[in-house]
Amino acid sequence: MFNFITDLARYNELMISGSLETLYMVGMSLFFAIVGGIPLGVLTTITRPGHILPNKPLNFILDGIINIGRSIPFIILMVAVIPFTRMIVGTSIGTNAAVVPLSLAAIPFMGRVTDNAILEIDHGVVESAQSMGASPLQIVFKVLLPESLPAIILGLTLTSISLVSYSAMAGAVGGGGLGDIAIRYGYQRFQLPIMLETIVILVVLVQLIQFLGNQLASFFDHKS
Amino acid sequence: MIKIENLTKHYHAAQGRIEAINGLNLEVDDGEIFGMIGPSGAGKSTLIRMLNLLEKPTSGTININGTDLTELSSQNLRAARQKIGMIFQHFNLLSSRTVLGNVAFPLEIAGVSKKKRRKKAKELIELVDLSDRADHYPAQLSGGQKQRVGIARALANEPDLLLSDEATSSLDPESTKAVLELLGRIRDEMNLTIILITHEMGVIKDICDRVAVLEAGQIIEEGSIIDIFSKPQKALTKKFISSVIDFDLPERIIKYVQKERPGELIRISFVGEKTHDPYISDLVKHYSVDANILYGNIDEIQGVPFGTLVLDLEGQLTNIEESIAYLKSQGLRVEVLDNV
Repeated sequence: MFNFITDLARYNELMISGSLETLYMVGMSLFFAIVGGIPLGVLTTITRPGHILPNKPLNFILDGIINIGRSIPFIILMVAVIPFTRMIVGTSIGTNAAVVPLSLAAIPFMGRVTDNAILEIDHGVVESAQSMGASPLQIVFKVLLPESLPAIILGLTLTSISLVSYSAMAGAVGGGGLGDIAIRYGYQRFQLPIMLETIVILVVLVQLIQFLGNQLASFFDHKS
Repeated sequence: MIKIENLTKHYHAAQGRIEAINGLNLEVDDGEIFGMIGPSGAGKSTLIRMLNLLEKPTSGTININGTDLTELSSQNLRAARQKIGMIFQHFNLLSSRTVLGNVAFPLEIAGVSKKKRRKKAKELIELVDLSDRADHYPAQLSGGQKQRVGIARALANEPDLLLSDEATSSLDPESTKAVLELLGRIRDEMNLTIILITHEMGVIKDICDRVAVLEAGQIIEEGSIIDIFSKPQKALTKKFISSVIDFDLPERIIKYVQKERPGELIRISFVGEKTHDPYISDLVKHYSVDANILYGNIDEIQGVPFGTLVLDLEGQLTNIEESIAYLKSQGLRVEVLDNV
């Protein structure tokens, strides 16, 4: 216990690089979640029966993709997609490799979050845009996305926090980041202070993400 | 201008086929405010939503200025919709946009340049008297203000036709009055045709030129406001009218009717200039009957006086009959009240 502080100081550099790796993994997969998940969610909603582009088969497929993606536990997904990861990144180890399963988990998650956010919009608002002669594309970009922006931001916040926890799991199997440090130093070498420090960093990170997400969402929310 | 022929709308629901609109025909003239009233489930909402094809008809045609909407491609339909404004019971404003942004929205859809749509939106906001609220979000407005934004927005692309789907049904009486006045004013200023649906006869009475009464997907009665109010044919129409004009006789008169008495009790209904003619004194002078006024009321519908009078006629039976015939020959509606 007496060398608690010196221990931590000694691993300062490690902690910083671990944190940056975690941020990198979360940031990259969040980017893919936005690029892949939001369009997936929008398409799922608008192809629902009674929405602006009803298409039963397409909706069935998209909804299925989201459900399947969401029902596979992350730890299994991570292992299952190793061949795919190798194909894309060239290796199955390291932060870049971890971004692949993280993105694959985050895309359907963000898809469902977006779908739910858009479904929250009063259908009358969509109809009023239709009554003005808006095209489906105009409705998506001028009505659905702006109206659901606060909810989508909160969804992104939720996704980011899930990604932080998933990235720790990815770390445990060679992805790097804080999870990796916690397992290698904290668990396998019994260095409790290191374990505690990673926990503290993760808690602070999650709090920060939630705080920023809430602030941003309320900035765009004009409903009350 | 608007001609609807053989319009039907059927739904498939769990309980089987629902016939919302059943072979409906209707013509509405340019510049007219045409009201449609009916109980809930009569198909009014389905009908008005078919006029811009938010609801697709099962069969029939909807002609607006010579174009059959049901035949248009989706692209042409979108262009046609820009010339049909619509306002809604729940306003349906974009919560993420200010008043100015909401009013400019249809212009944005129509591809109007940013500068032009700002200018036009500001004019319209001025028209609906909300200039001091241009930068507010809908959540900061009252119901009446929201509906005025809805109206300004509906007018943005200078439509020929405005559809109003229960636009005042969620407003308090004062806001309702203001919104109806505004609708009347824009009709006069912009020579717009307005078709509105409502379940409130007061709305019809205040601004409509003509009205159609809907029941079970069909128009059961149709005519000018004065005609419908003065000579309602169907029970449903009478029921709606009685909600704004009191047709019921007071208890005192009903008791009197039921009593044994000499002579005949009659109710006369009259409209417009007939209220100024001296029928009663004619009656007394030329038919030697005594006329005792038991009850009467005179109301006004859009500036036209409209009333009913209950008279107790006493005298020779033949004289009474002749006097009733005389009143009828003058175009008055006369009813003999023997049991009420």
